[in-house]
Amino acid sequence: MNAIEVSGLTKRYGKIEALRDADLSVRKGEVFGLVGPNGAGKTTLIKGLVGALRPSGGEARVMGLNPIRDRAELRRRIGYMPQSPALYEDLSARGNISFFGAAHGMTGLRKRVDDVLDFTELTRRANDPIHTFSGGMKRRVSLACALVHRPEVIFLDEPTAAVDPQLRSRFWRTFRELARGGATLFISTHLMDEAVLCDRIAILREGRIIATDTPRAILEWGRTNLVVKRGGAREKETIGGRPEDLAAALRPYGLEPGVTAIEVESDSLETVVLSLIEKEEAG
Amino acid sequence: MRRMFIVAGRVVRQLLRNPRFLVLSVAAPLIIVYFLKIFFDTLPPTFDVARYAVPVAAFLVHFLAFLLCAISLVQERTAGTLERMFINGFLRTEIIAGYVLGFLGLATFQAVAGLTEAIWLFELDYDEVTLVTLFVVVWLLAIASVMLGIFVSTFARHEGQVFPFVPLIIVPSVFLSGLLVDVDELPAWAGWLGHAFPLFWANDVIQEVIESGWTLDDVQRSLAVLVGYSVVLLLLASLTLRETE
Repeated sequence: MNAIEVSGLTKRYGKIEALRDADLSVRKGEVFGLVGPNGAGKTTLIKGLVGALRPSGGEARVMGLNPIRDRAELRRRIGYMPQSPALYEDLSARGNISFFGAAHGMTGLRKRVDDVLDFTELTRRANDPIHTFSGGMKRRVSLACALVHRPEVIFLDEPTAAVDPQLRSRFWRTFRELARGGATLFISTHLMDEAVLCDRIAILREGRIIATDTPRAILEWGRTNLVVKRGGAREKETIGGRPEDLAAALRPYGLEPGVTAIEVESDSLETVVLSLIEKEEAG
Repeated sequence: MRRMFIVAGRVVRQLLRNPRFLVLSVAAPLIIVYFLKIFFDTLPPTFDVARYAVPVAAFLVHFLAFLLCAISLVQERTAGTLERMFINGFLRTEIIAGYVLGFLGLATFQAVAGLTEAIWLFELDYDEVTLVTLFVVVWLLAIASVMLGIFVSTFARHEGQVFPFVPLIIVPSVFLSGLLVDVDELPAWAGWLGHAFPLFWANDVIQEVIESGWTLDDVQRSLAVLVGYSVVLLLLASLTLRETE
């Protein structure tokens, strides 16, 4: 059984279709990225999966459970970190984490809160009120709140938005650690350098999923520009993005001593995703 | 049940850690009652201070308990913590009941403080039973106000949307609930409209007990309506608090 199964999921707000016929599946233990520009429908899809939104059509299953009908069971098994910190500013980090943890009626809550504070490197500021925290620290508290009850599937809505590169890298180490521990992570982002860190990604545009694959496979849909310098001459060639395309393009040159340099410039994931979106827009 | 107490505990902890909020909710009615005293002192000695002192204190408790509770719950929505509570498994009834319990302490404190100050400042001389009854009615009014705040908050997406309900619900009650003039002196339709406000029923009890010679029979109907008002609002709020978009 997959951790997440989505089939034809649609959400309409009046005449606006925020999500259109979304289909995807996420394997257990996978780090799955939902990539797309602002307003593409990433938050809508996540909210549909955590049961915060009633879909207009289609179906979603998380660990085999319907997010609306089976919400009581589902909510014990999922963690959710929303885009905004969603914390009580007057309470401490410990107070916030304990409050959301207590909802699940866990035994040994105090020890578990200590553990997640340690895991998110917040122990030193555990008893300080949230309003004294920086934006990055609030995000760490928010993540800790999502992890406190040891969820099997964790939904993270733009977890690293407005976070500095050092903290972002720390977050991704944490995500990988969680996945190694068996959790499934469903992460939305509009940052392509984060998307490449996922096992698989889905590209969302105006509420429609236009591609789903591994970042490497999506990169292969791009182009590679090849410049071969031979003597004083420069031969330019544009080839496909697959490693086989590069091999085929280089084969005719062999070990010809006249070739003094070869420049290979491949499209970035951002370029490939943008061209996919542009293609989609052009119809 | 357990989660209801968790919500209530968190609401209380939040209130205690927010001195500005506490000062506003407790000190504001005390200051306004004092201003009322200064104003009443300018009126001729024949003016019946007792007719207005306790009802005005009750109104202030009603207004502030309503406003502060409504705003607190709307803040939960704007901050995203309400959605987070739902996703963490809290039920609507647990959240609402937790809020009621959490604000009950504040409402009790407001009722005691407001009433004590009004009785002391205006040198009102009531027997013990009357004092207890006055406290009970102001306390019940405060609970109804908390319920009203919770109910109204379900229609507001942000704090600003709470304020239109003040001229819609609170201000008319000043004129139509017998606070300033007896409802019998109003046109019949306005008198009936006045019955829709919890302040009317609270004021009805207050006016009854500050006259000498009242019995429990005279006030039990109004007290029961006040309790019923809270129950109905609690049910309505449970139905209207949105869990999903």
